[in-house]
Amino acid sequence: MTIGTPWGRPELYTDYKQDMALLNTRAKTLGVAAILVVAALLPLLVADDLLVILGGGLVLAIGALGLNLVTGYAGQVSLGHAFFVGVGAYTAAVMAGDPDGRYLGLGIDFMPLWLLGAGLIAALFGALVAPLATRLRGLYLAIVTLGLVFIGQYLFFEWNDLSGGPQVGREAAKPELFGIEFTVDNGFKGGWTEEQKLFWLFLAVLVIAAVAARNVARSRIGRAFAAIRDRDVAAGVMGVNLTHYKVIAFTLSSFYAGVAGALMYSASGHFTPESFSLLMSVQFIAIVLIGGVATVSGTIMGALLIALLPRIAGELPAFVPFLSSSASEHPNVFEFEQVMYGVLIVAFLLFEPRGLFGIWHRVRTYWKSFPFSY
Amino acid sequence: MSTRTVVTRIRDRARSTPKGVAMREKRLGIWHEITWSDYWDSVLDVGHALLALGVRPGDRVSVQSENRPEWLFLDIAAVAVRAITVGLYPTNPTAETAYLLSHSGSCVHLAEDQEQVDKALGVEDVPRLRRIVYVDPRGLSPYDDPRLMTWTRLLELGREHRAAHPGAVEALVDAAEPDDVMTLVYTSGTTGPPKGAMLTIGNAEFALETVLERSPFADPPPGPRDLTLSYLPLCHVAERVLTTWYNAGAGTQVNFAESIETVPQNLREVQPSLFFAVPRIWEKLLATTRIKLDSATWVKRRYAAFWLRRAERLGARLAATGGRHTIGTRLAYAVGWVLFYRALRDRLGLRRVRHASSGAAPIAPEVLQFFMGIGVPMHELYGMTENTAIATANRPGRVRLGTVGEIHDGTEVRLDDETGEILTRHPAVFAGYWQDPEATERTIGADGWLHTGDVGEWVDGTHLRITDRMKDIIITAGGKNVAPSEIENALKASPFVKEAVVVGDGRKYLTALIGIELDTVGAWAQQQRLAFTTYRDLSEKTEVRALVQGVVDDVNSRHNPVEQIKHFRMLPKELDHEDGELTATQKVKRSAIDAMFHDLVEEMYVGGREGAA
Repeated sequence: MTIGTPWGRPELYTDYKQDMALLNTRAKTLGVAAILVVAALLPLLVADDLLVILGGGLVLAIGALGLNLVTGYAGQVSLGHAFFVGVGAYTAAVMAGDPDGRYLGLGIDFMPLWLLGAGLIAALFGALVAPLATRLRGLYLAIVTLGLVFIGQYLFFEWNDLSGGPQVGREAAKPELFGIEFTVDNGFKGGWTEEQKLFWLFLAVLVIAAVAARNVARSRIGRAFAAIRDRDVAAGVMGVNLTHYKVIAFTLSSFYAGVAGALMYSASGHFTPESFSLLMSVQFIAIVLIGGVATVSGTIMGALLIALLPRIAGELPAFVPFLSSSASEHPNVFEFEQVMYGVLIVAFLLFEPRGLFGIWHRVRTYWKSFPFSY
Repeated sequence: MSTRTVVTRIRDRARSTPKGVAMREKRLGIWHEITWSDYWDSVLDVGHALLALGVRPGDRVSVQSENRPEWLFLDIAAVAVRAITVGLYPTNPTAETAYLLSHSGSCVHLAEDQEQVDKALGVEDVPRLRRIVYVDPRGLSPYDDPRLMTWTRLLELGREHRAAHPGAVEALVDAAEPDDVMTLVYTSGTTGPPKGAMLTIGNAEFALETVLERSPFADPPPGPRDLTLSYLPLCHVAERVLTTWYNAGAGTQVNFAESIETVPQNLREVQPSLFFAVPRIWEKLLATTRIKLDSATWVKRRYAAFWLRRAERLGARLAATGGRHTIGTRLAYAVGWVLFYRALRDRLGLRRVRHASSGAAPIAPEVLQFFMGIGVPMHELYGMTENTAIATANRPGRVRLGTVGEIHDGTEVRLDDETGEILTRHPAVFAGYWQDPEATERTIGADGWLHTGDVGEWVDGTHLRITDRMKDIIITAGGKNVAPSEIENALKASPFVKEAVVVGDGRKYLTALIGIELDTVGAWAQQQRLAFTTYRDLSEKTEVRALVQGVVDDVNSRHNPVEQIKHFRMLPKELDHEDGELTATQKVKRSAIDAMFHDLVEEMYVGGREGAA
């Protein structure tokens, strides 16, 4: 940088690095810093039961980031995300599992290893599926990836040594690092609860995942993704290697799904093969659509909203008298929650196609162009 | 001890702050920085290239290009080898280009791109023109005129010559004399063909010393931390002073706008700290602000209206105090800055402007007052090509609206006792017109007083108010003297009026030809749900006529009966340089207007027709 580069002129770009920077304005830097500080302090401010839900939201966000990379950025519709999440969950459970236990286990306690392992095995499956995507697109690809979910379900239901079988399930991988047991209350000198520690762990992984996703999106790979999404034929003509980038998209996406799967059941400590059904795939798609297609911050917002949905639905009977909180009466909050996914997807697609991010974007534009309107 | 010139000033900067930013040029979205050492290095290369091309001291080197670093490189290089730079407007049509090239006898010509090369090649009978250098090679590969040469080739030539004859350019730099003519600035020529004013190194140095040292126009004086935006034609004396000479003299960072169309965008990016604009630009900025605020959402509109009412009051208060804040205005402005003015100025690209000025043509005080109200420190300046733009200026804190300010220290300005013509005398008065001793004699008297051709009067003995161009003064059939430009500017202060030409010399009453501003009137018509197709269609709508009638009535109400516009007609087309109705600096050529719209004018004097005010 040469002497005399003027201060306080955010739109005066003197090189492309500055233009492409992750935090290219001071307002953005400050905003992100503020959000991070609030997020880091949240476990000290919020009750543990809410923290569990928010922590779950963070894990969902990691998985949804993966789906957004393949569907939002690269435009390859995938209904098979639940399958990759399942692969991740089982890989982690097997790697961290007790070698002498009832189910498969390798006894690897070191968390980063099984976290990475879960991601890599899922990514491997992603890479295997990817060639399909180079042959198919749109609806056909959606149907094929839908098939993955059913193959996965069959596998997880029948392979009892791996999954413990339907309705029974097995224990999830327990996060533990440098002697800190995340799933044990007051295990650490500071006396933090399980919920607080898990929240911090999820937050850390999510930050890494989100920064990585942003970096992918603004790099050569991200631009290739966008080109493929907008028109694959045109992208091919421009010199984008379609096979290459579609494989990258699926592999990356599955890696995220695997990592999310490995962490998803840490809090409950137990999971059954029924979890990885079509409903989970739909849930991820809902997150992407509600949050905002091809946005990282939107994905996180969407994941938190979806995670909070049961809680919101649970509060509703107090305001809406005909809604019951008991599962035996109709209509009840659980039914309402299911309906809400659909309603939210329909409503967002109709009225706010760019998702929560679109709302945020409008608010930002309102102030950015102030006192004008454009 | 060699003479200090703009060239030595640049050399000194390249030695003291080689890594400092001299200028920026936007290419593909990025402002590429050129440091002082890059600048000096390019000047040396180009200077050597000129020597290699056989340019001798006193030869003319011409440039026809939009503002870009190469313009400055060639300009300074030409001065370095004691040649004379001639600037041509990129908008000059072929005929004018031909006149300027042959009249100046240019031997090396820089033509920016294919468009300018075509003009230069279309000129016949210029035996002296040996080389035509072009910067942008697009579309030029099939051309085989032996005189053509690319800018890259020119630089190579320079480097070869520099290696073979090191120090040749620097020797010429040190040999410069204050009496060396450094540039011919062709006046725009509202009447007759353009005349080439010869400005010397001494003129430029005196001008720089005056505005930077003797009576610095801004406080603190301009320096390397200041940014300017270069967008007005560089062949005009005002932009040359602001871009090339201030840059060399004060070290300000010059930023080249991509084109005149992108000025609003570039302003927002660069946020210059010193900003000069001609009245047309200020009027346009004001009009844009109004349109954009009017088309904002209801809440924003109300909010803006509230703060603009306050700005109006602030502007009036500041106009009364000469631009000096009182405690009251400072407080009022501070609150408004946080809540509104900061954002508004940021969108306009005027947020960091610490000295804004208007010159080169008269401006309506209302426009200045608006900008003062939103916190842009406005100053009207006065100067002309023939006195290197040094005559009078409004100083910070001593602004008087409607005047062009006070005399600079070390210069003389007086009014002719009989005619009231403004006369100036100081070392920056030009050396004469190129090859036109008669015109020179008419302009500079024997005692060294420069006849500006403007009529003025003193306000409170300190500030100069310009009545009008001497030859534009209208004497009505009733024998009353009327200054049309004052009325025209009052009309043009309306966002709906782009051009106004007041007619009435030797007539019973005044009339006007009025051209609408297509953007604003178009937006207004849309709001009124008024369908229109072309400029002409829009200006002939009864509703638009009524709109303009309102503007005329408003202006008439502020003038005494002799100065009132009795009738007006709408101009059926936008005035244009190509069609010969405007000069390159967008000044109206009255003679051309008279000839072209003769029928319209006569119509207004055939008594008793409808449309009377």
